[in-house]
Amino acid sequence: MKYPRYEYSTEAELNIFEFESIGPKGKIVKLVQYTEMNIKGYYNLAFGDLDVKTREINDGVITNNGDATKVLATVVSTVYAFTGKYPDAYIFATGSSEARTRLYRMGITNNLEELKNDFLVYGLRNDEMFEPFIVGEDYLGFLITRKK
Amino acid sequence: MKVEDLNKAKIPVVKINKKLEEFKGKILFPEKLELANKMLEKVELPKVETSK
Repeated sequence: MKYPRYEYSTEAELNIFEFESIGPKGKIVKLVQYTEMNIKGYYNLAFGDLDVKTREINDGVITNNGDATKVLATVVSTVYAFTGKYPDAYIFATGSSEARTRLYRMGITNNLEELKNDFLVYGLRNDEMFEPFIVGEDYLGFLITRKK
Repeated sequence: MKVEDLNKAKIPVVKINKKLEEFKGKILFPEKLELANKMLEKVELPKVETSK
C-alpha cells in the first residue's frame, strides 16, 4: 500500500481487528469492528480506542497521536482482510460527528487509487443518494464493496 | 514477516488474536451502528456494476 500501516490481529471470524497506534501519546490500542446491519449483506465499519484497563471502547475521541494517516491506512487494510472472508459484503462507514466523517473521507481519499483497483467506492451525498466517490466532495457516509 | 514487507503486501497477513474472542458477539459501537442503520433506511442503495 502507498502509506505505511500498523500490523494488526483479528479473531477467527475476522469481524474484529486490533492494532496499536504509536505516537507522542504513547501506545493506544485501536479496535475495528464490522457489524452486520439491518440490510442483509451490509456491514457497518467502526473503529475506536480501547481502554486497556477498563476494556471499554471510546469511539468519540480523535486521539491526536500524530499518526492519523497510518491509522486510517491500517483501517483500510482491514477492508481487504474482511472482504477476503466475506467477498460479497457491502461495507458502510460514517462518523459519529462531521469531524469523524471527514477523517473517514481522508482515509478513503489517501488510499483511493489502490482501493479502486479492487473495490467500488461510493459516497452518500447530502441528498441521500449514493454516487461513485469523488475526491473533495462532502459525504454523509461511505460504501465499499469488492468488484465482482 | 517484517513490517516493511507487510506494508508492501496488498493482501494483508492476518494474525489471529485469541484475546479478541472476549468481544465476540458484542456490538462495540452500538451508537454508530444505530446511526448507520438509520442513514440507510431511506436511501436508495447503489446499483452495483457486476464487471470490472
